[in-house]
Amino acid sequence: MRSGSLPDARWGLRATQAAVFVLLVGAWEVASRLRWLDPFFFSRPSSVAERVARWFASGEVYGHIYVTSLETLLAFLVGSLLGVVVGFAFALSPALSRVFDPYVKVANAMPRIVLAPIFTLWFGLGILSKVAFGVTLVFFVVFFNTYQGVREVDRNVLNNARMLGATDRDLLRHVLLPSALVWILSSLHTSVGLALVGAVVGEYLGSARGLGYLIHQAEALFDTTGVFAGLVVLAGFVLVVDLLVTSVERQLLRWKPPSHVEEAL
Amino acid sequence: MRLASPPGTCAVRLQGCRRSFRTPDGGVYVALDRVDLEVRAGEFVALVGPTGCGKSTLLNLVAGLLQPDAGRVEVFGAPLEGINRRASYLFQQDVLLPWKTAEENVMLGLVFRRVRREEARRQARAWLERVGLRGFENRYPHQLSGGMRKRVALAQNLIVNPEILLMDEPFAALDVQTRQLMENDLLRIWQEERKTVLFVTHDLEEAIALSDRVVVLSAGPAARPVGEFPVELPRPRDVTEVRLDPAFGELFRRIWELLRGEVLRAFRLAP
Repeated sequence: MRSGSLPDARWGLRATQAAVFVLLVGAWEVASRLRWLDPFFFSRPSSVAERVARWFASGEVYGHIYVTSLETLLAFLVGSLLGVVVGFAFALSPALSRVFDPYVKVANAMPRIVLAPIFTLWFGLGILSKVAFGVTLVFFVVFFNTYQGVREVDRNVLNNARMLGATDRDLLRHVLLPSALVWILSSLHTSVGLALVGAVVGEYLGSARGLGYLIHQAEALFDTTGVFAGLVVLAGFVLVVDLLVTSVERQLLRWKPPSHVEEAL
Repeated sequence: MRLASPPGTCAVRLQGCRRSFRTPDGGVYVALDRVDLEVRAGEFVALVGPTGCGKSTLLNLVAGLLQPDAGRVEVFGAPLEGINRRASYLFQQDVLLPWKTAEENVMLGLVFRRVRREEARRQARAWLERVGLRGFENRYPHQLSGGMRKRVALAQNLIVNPEILLMDEPFAALDVQTRQLMENDLLRIWQEERKTVLFVTHDLEEAIALSDRVVVLSAGPAARPVGEFPVELPRPRDVTEVRLDPAFGELFRRIWELLRGEVLRAFRLAP
């Protein structure tokens, strides 16, 4: 599906991207060494790299990565499941959606971050409070997409299935669910990203483990190098998660025509 | 498998059917009124009329997807309740499931009838071959051309062995060559299977070339059949060659005289 037919152009692109990276990081390093930037406030790439290497060498970072991954995964799974179930219920029952419409709107408009302290109070400092926080973020994305996916099913497609003898259960299984799944998958990057945001922000606000905790801890000690090192690990983590999501998405959406946007990229 | 119905029995009968819709501004639009129509078993009836005259509404009544406000719909002598289980419906729009392959789409009706998977798959392959799509079993709809997708939809309809085939301008979106190929395929299959066909189109030439009888619907609102023309052209027909028959032109002229008035009326009534 990807344009693998132009390897030269792709290598050129990769090389340019790498050059941009080297230029920016190099400028930072030089500026820091020449004291144009105060290393106390800005650290420097070599110290950050050294710190990251030390974290991995000593193995102390793995525990944090594990906790953050677990929170992300749980928040994603629970939030998605709730979103799909409630989305279906609302889409199939107009009465239900009419009654709860204002509540859903208010709940979604609320800045979720204010809930974090309450969740800490309810669920403690462990992973549960982070999962709960992530769920409130993931739920709405999946819920709205499921709702939309079910509502947008073409009338003729439904009628065609009915004429072919589909029962209500057949319609759910062969038409409505796959159709909603398309929408849910299209928002997979967003919902996984939000699950991660929930985990990291939750950790940042109060916890004893995780990447968010690592960054917060360094900040509290005015350890700029530690903050940047935490960000680098987090960025790497996000990249890996995103690659995983992309490959899952490719597997599940094999039947889809390549979009023009994707081809342009 | 059901036995073929004895010839001459009435497959579809509409008596005094009326169907109206609510308009967005709160009014009521009467699409069909006082519709009487009979289709004999094994007959190929084409329904023509100006756009927006309620041809699709009429088809939906026979399919059981819509209920009439007044009047009755009978299928093989029994009043129709709910979905018409003895009919299949070839829609104008693309209605294949994009996440299923051609073969899986064709199987669908058998899957709904709880036919064993291997058996359903075998029949689907056979049907795909019959509509000329051998080798395309594992393609997804987006990998097929518009004409191929129509063939898949046709196979999807025929695999459930319906007694009545409802068709709503099925070939309208196709280019002329593909369309004539599909029309000939349809005639060939109809000749072999002797289904009852109710075929809606706005193309009078297509209607005459395919059918045993052309029914003209008046312009809406309150559309109803205003003329019936038996088509006594020899069968088996080739849709391209039959157009050269002098009787074809003569029939076309007679029907067009009536239809033109309705088309003009629809055009003037159009908002």
